[in-house]
Amino acid sequence: MLSPWGAVFIFLAVGIVFGAGGIATSFLVHPRRQYASKYEPYECGMETIGPTWVQFKTSYFLYALLFVIFDVETIYLYPWAVKFQSLGLFAFIEMLVFIFILVVGLWYAWKEGALEWM
Amino acid sequence: MVDFAMQHAWLVPLLPALAFVVIVFLTKPWQKLSALVAVAGIVGAFVFAALAAYGVFTHPEFTEGSLVYGVRWLSMPGLHINVGIMLDPTSAMMIFMVSLVSSLIFIYATGYMKGDPGFSVFFSYVSLFAASMLLLVLSSNLLEMFVGWELVGLCSYLLIGFYTHKISAREAAKKAFVTCRIADFGLLLGMLSLQIVFGTLDLPELAQKIAHFHQYTSAGVLTLIAVLVFLGPIGKSGQFPLHVWLPDAMEGPTPVSALIHAATMVVAGVYLVGRMLFLFSEIPSAMELVAITGAFTALFAATIAITQREIKRILAYSTVSQLGYMMLALGVGSLSASMFHMWTHAFFKALMFMGAGSVLTALHHKADVWEMGGLVKKMPITAWTFVVGGLAIAGIPPFAGFWSKDEILATALNSHHYVLFAMGAFTAFLTAFYMWRLIFLAFFGEENPANHPVESPWNMTVPLIILAALATVGGWVGTPWDNVWSQWIFFGEVEHAAPNYGVMIGSVILALAGIYLAYQLYYVDREKVKAKALAERYHGIYTLLFNKYYIDEIYLWFNHAIVDGSAKLFYLFDIYVVDGIIVNGLGAFTRLSGEGLRITETGRLQNYALVFFLGVLIIAVALAFSSPSAAGLLLGGVK
Amino acid sequence: MNVDLSLLNPEIAISILGLAVLVLGLIIPKESRHGLGWLTALGLLGVLGLTISGWNNQGTLYHGMFIVDQYAIFFKITFLTAAFLVTLGSMRFVDDMGDQSEYYSMMLFATLGMMVLASAGDFITLYLGLELMTIAFIVLVCFKRLDGKSVEAGMKYVLLAGMSSAVLLYGLSLIYGVTGSVTISEVGRAVAVTPVPALILGLVMLVAGLGFKISAVPFHMWAPDIYEGAPTPVTSYLAVGSKAASFAILLRVFVAALPGIWANWTMLVAVLSAITIIVGNLVAIPQTNIKRLLAYSSIAQAGYILVGLVTASEQGIKGVMFYAFLYVFATIGAFTVATYFYNVTGSDEIKDYAGLSQRSPLMAVVMLICMLSMAGIPPLAGFVGKFYLFKTIVDNYLWLAFIGLIMSMVSVYYYLRVALVMYRDEPLDNSPINLSTPVAVTLIIAMVATLFIGIYPGPLSQVINMAAHSFFMH
Repeated sequence: MLSPWGAVFIFLAVGIVFGAGGIATSFLVHPRRQYASKYEPYECGMETIGPTWVQFKTSYFLYALLFVIFDVETIYLYPWAVKFQSLGLFAFIEMLVFIFILVVGLWYAWKEGALEWM
Repeated sequence: MVDFAMQHAWLVPLLPALAFVVIVFLTKPWQKLSALVAVAGIVGAFVFAALAAYGVFTHPEFTEGSLVYGVRWLSMPGLHINVGIMLDPTSAMMIFMVSLVSSLIFIYATGYMKGDPGFSVFFSYVSLFAASMLLLVLSSNLLEMFVGWELVGLCSYLLIGFYTHKISAREAAKKAFVTCRIADFGLLLGMLSLQIVFGTLDLPELAQKIAHFHQYTSAGVLTLIAVLVFLGPIGKSGQFPLHVWLPDAMEGPTPVSALIHAATMVVAGVYLVGRMLFLFSEIPSAMELVAITGAFTALFAATIAITQREIKRILAYSTVSQLGYMMLALGVGSLSASMFHMWTHAFFKALMFMGAGSVLTALHHKADVWEMGGLVKKMPITAWTFVVGGLAIAGIPPFAGFWSKDEILATALNSHHYVLFAMGAFTAFLTAFYMWRLIFLAFFGEENPANHPVESPWNMTVPLIILAALATVGGWVGTPWDNVWSQWIFFGEVEHAAPNYGVMIGSVILALAGIYLAYQLYYVDREKVKAKALAERYHGIYTLLFNKYYIDEIYLWFNHAIVDGSAKLFYLFDIYVVDGIIVNGLGAFTRLSGEGLRITETGRLQNYALVFFLGVLIIAVALAFSSPSAAGLLLGGVK
Repeated sequence: MNVDLSLLNPEIAISILGLAVLVLGLIIPKESRHGLGWLTALGLLGVLGLTISGWNNQGTLYHGMFIVDQYAIFFKITFLTAAFLVTLGSMRFVDDMGDQSEYYSMMLFATLGMMVLASAGDFITLYLGLELMTIAFIVLVCFKRLDGKSVEAGMKYVLLAGMSSAVLLYGLSLIYGVTGSVTISEVGRAVAVTPVPALILGLVMLVAGLGFKISAVPFHMWAPDIYEGAPTPVTSYLAVGSKAASFAILLRVFVAALPGIWANWTMLVAVLSAITIIVGNLVAIPQTNIKRLLAYSSIAQAGYILVGLVTASEQGIKGVMFYAFLYVFATIGAFTVATYFYNVTGSDEIKDYAGLSQRSPLMAVVMLICMLSMAGIPPLAGFVGKFYLFKTIVDNYLWLAFIGLIMSMVSVYYYLRVALVMYRDEPLDNSPINLSTPVAVTLIIAMVATLFIGIYPGPLSQVINMAAHSFFMH
């Protein structure tokens, strides 16, 4: 008799066999011929142009981070604004504290030049 | 104020300990300041001790029980160790006496040690010395007492070897340390056994439990424990056969000798036996052992003292002898007499040691009494105070030593220890003789033209005078007619023997006879012909005594032949078996396995992550196989 | 809505302190930022005082999400003490490094994370505290931006910490899936007498995730690299604070949430602690770098502390708390010496410690005492700590006590090797090392505390008894 957990185990086993089996089969049956395009990162994709180790500007990430932070802030503010009346003063102060902390972060980022595009 | 001192008696050892810390860490470069700190510490301790003692001796209820307070130091199931203070008449008397005598010695040392390069260091050590002794005295727990006991031993080691440039001093320090260590091992074993058998080392609790020891153990085991515990005092209080270190201990500066001999170290052993009397008194044979050891040591050391030539060595053997008296008193069951003798002895022995120190400074450390003579003219204060000390130790009324020695002899007689009594009485005669031999040779007679003595400065003579006064009146608290002493300090029942005039008169006659003999041999007979003839005639016995019964030589032989021999055997075993196979093998194994495991640390992130997940996997599998219910996960849950 | 915010005083205070330090760094000019270290130290002292004053103010907040019991308070005291000592001992180091305000505020936020972790009453709070602490530490580890080693360590820490967090989250979600609750006390009630396999898998993942933080073998691989690469004060705080906080939550989760399946994990924890003790001590032997040596020794120490979890008893908890507290002083003492030594000589190699006893007796003696305490030599604190820990297991796990004993002896070997170099070898450079006052104060506090706890453990033991007792009150 199979317990519910037996199903999980079978699922796991099939998953492993499915994944590993494919690789193993292709390893066993594939023709062993080597030429230059075999060593490309993407054998059947576009040829890469220029060096792959391009450095991105850090400012990208800083902008992205700041954007995410304020995105998240909005997500928190929205439900609070909807239920503003019933939540009352306590929640209002809490939200002020929350915004204050974020403002300090923004201030810091600004002052440190995170918003300058250099 | 008195209440405060009683409730905070821990301040008494703390103040000198603080002085030690302050000197070591702060004032070491400034000699005078260091001395001041040390003296302030001990005098402060004395003030507190005096107040506490006053408090104790004005409250008669202290004869019933003691004031115990402390903190729990270590606590776990089955083992509770308290540290604290136990204030009762005995310890109150002791802290008063120790801090008083120490204060005087410290003041004296400011003069004696003047100009010594290690002046500050000296004062830091003696402060610690006094602090340890006070801790030992006040301890309410045997373990705590042992800490003080060992600290005292450490300080004595440091101070006896204080003149590190002298080989003899270094050797003496080592000897003292090793000898005491052997004895302390016995004490430690005894303490362990007490802890195992009775589950506590608290003195009050131990006293209660030992009173009903049959519930815990047999008399045989208790006897063994008592003997083990007694080993400690044998070493520390210089009892036969571990007395050998004490005479050598005079290699230290004289104030240290005074401290060791009078106030701090050696009386610790007697005090410990006194504190543990509830243990010994349960075992009659242990009591006999204490008494016989004491009486024998007293006689034994006195005979050696007769022939010695160095002034401090004579005093040292007299200390051994007097400690024997104290042990004898304990052995015959009288805490009162023993403590009384300790009290008076502290005064006159400190007095005489410091007097000897004064003489030595004046004579530039020429120690042979035969090369002195006639010092009384140039050093009147030293000489006359020394004479007071001589009268006190000889047991001439009304000086302090008479009352205490008389009490010991009377107690021995009352408890029907006739042989021990006779030994004690004969020792009293010998004591008077050798002490007055010293006095006549050193202070009277003709002056030695090679010497140019001058009287010592005030800070050395004032303590002498104070101590001389104390050595005179100190015994009046315990006269047989109105014995205040034994109403306070006693063990079991108040011991109040009627005045025994026979013993009194007899002991005075013996003392006078000793003094008279010394007078005839060493004063009247200016050329000392008779004395030399006596030494000639009993050449064998004289040599035996002069060489202290060859005890040192026997120990030396034992060390060379037995200890070194077996040590060589063990050494070879150690080299070839232990080092060669076990230690080096183990070391190589651990080092190699360390190297091996170190290789796994590649610095590559992928490997780390791999190890992490492998760890998870292995644990999961292991758990699955070890617990049947979890195995369901892997075995498909087939139930 | 009845919330006793006074329970949160320490957390609020330290948040304000952290923000204030950050803001002050923006306002005041670069040259005068040296004072920020003092502000942080004094602030931490203030928060410490506030925390201690709230000793008897216990309770739970937000339906059990946030527990303030004496157990948590004691751990908070431990973190704050550690943070205070690290700050005091590393001011010069930080001034040399620059960016004081960022450094100190990160330090404070890491402390806040630990405090939240100690009080965590459910898995969400747990994760919140853990990540707050970890992220702050990631920033701190690669704080020397221009030093390749530091950046590499930071990178490794990001990746590995992320991985371990993921595993931990899997574990927590599995437990949630089985019990239907994230609140620790409710999980404790729900964990059935017959364990479900998924619960065991969750347990394993929990062990892995938290084992990573306390660097238990085999999840320890990150520790030496990161300890070596990180700025030394950060290393010491990482070794002390992060580890203590992880132990706090480890006990909370295992003893309060999973006691129902105790039989399943007790042997696991015992084996893990044995392996950790063995590997940590053995690998420490061949090390030549003082920070790596201390890293491996701290792995071994984690193994010792783990012993306290085996029995899941009040005594075991007491042992863990006692050891965590004294471990603060020993570790910070040793690391502060290493920090200052690096400041003066620019070296972390053990061989350069030659003759330290002549160059700076205080540094040498503190190093010696701290190391001997870690080795468990009486009368130092480490001995008492190990005693409390191993006392709990001698009845059922004698073999573990035996391994602990043997390995303690092995550890003496490598600790004394450092002592030998400091005391026996002649210095190559004879110039004395002058200690600055805050460093000297840190060292003396560490030394005195180590000695005091060792000689007179009574009061601390009583406090911890109370705290361990409060653990079981919910």
